[in-house]
Amino acid sequence: MGRAIVITSGKGGVGKTTITANVGASLAKLGKKVVVADMDIGLRNLDVVMGLENRVVYNIMDIVEGRCKISQALVREKHLSNLFLLPASQMHTKEDVDIEAINEIISIIKENFDYVLLDSPAGIENGFRSAAAPASEALIVVTPDVSSVRDADRVVGLLENSGIEGISLIVNRYDPDLVIKKKTLDKNDIVDVLGLDLIGVVPEDKEIIDSENRGEILSIIGKSIAVQSFDNIAKRIEGEEVPFMELPKGKKSILDFFRRK
Amino acid sequence: MGWFSRKQTNEIARDRLKLILVQDRKLLSPSVLNQLKEDLLNVINKYIEVGTYEVSIDIRRESNKTVLEAIIPVRGIKKKF
Repeated sequence: MGRAIVITSGKGGVGKTTITANVGASLAKLGKKVVVADMDIGLRNLDVVMGLENRVVYNIMDIVEGRCKISQALVREKHLSNLFLLPASQMHTKEDVDIEAINEIISIIKENFDYVLLDSPAGIENGFRSAAAPASEALIVVTPDVSSVRDADRVVGLLENSGIEGISLIVNRYDPDLVIKKKTLDKNDIVDVLGLDLIGVVPEDKEIIDSENRGEILSIIGKSIAVQSFDNIAKRIEGEEVPFMELPKGKKSILDFFRRK
Repeated sequence: MGWFSRKQTNEIARDRLKLILVQDRKLLSPSVLNQLKEDLLNVINKYIEVGTYEVSIDIRRESNKTVLEAIIPVRGIKKKF
């Protein structure tokens, strides 16, 4: 029996879809059978982030409405034979979603895979609820700013009330330069305020944008610092104790020249 | 405020966030909370004599659960029980 994990945030634009694709790929690199499911009905994006938009034939609503079998809707990733995408429907809206039917589909997938990662839409309405309903664990994604952390706190409250156990925190787009200059929330302050277990810190990395432009998953084709943190998140999900790495400073300031001696 | 005592913006952000979350985590508005307090006291007063003025009642989310906390000082047990 596999594990269903929802990736969610409340606020939009914090990197849920990128995290879903890359952590899913990192789990697949560990040899796990993984499905990443796009739960953003009406605004699907996970197919584009993975570069699989041309291979989508059926989607999750086709399964719900009986037009295809589950196996027909799953799209295999280009490089990894054990990573699959379950696409969202572009024609429906979030109000069309039958939560019971989605639960049923995800529980069948769980019997044949090690992981189902559910990429939640932004917001706390029906779309979020149908993404969270099949999950028993959650990864909360925040960026280091007040509004993102505030929304995350709201989502955590809703998840706890709906009985999800095991909520972990990912701090995304973390810029060590800004932390040193004391211009952005420190990850320890975010952990402290939200009271969640930190499972990963993903640094701001231009390689992510570059690989998404090309329709490739960075964690599969890249070697940069963000790949290391995606791999570490996957290992921690698997229960391995991985120490948090020191994020390197980027640009040197003029002051560093004087500090050297 | 002088230049040297100026707060870094990350500290400002952290302090604002803490205040916002204290507000957000209040699950009931003050008027509803007051109503709940009155109803509670009416029920409890049937059995126990309690001090109405020193009552504090609060509902809030902690790290992994939501708790309703009522601190109600007891004056005495009603004679008929």
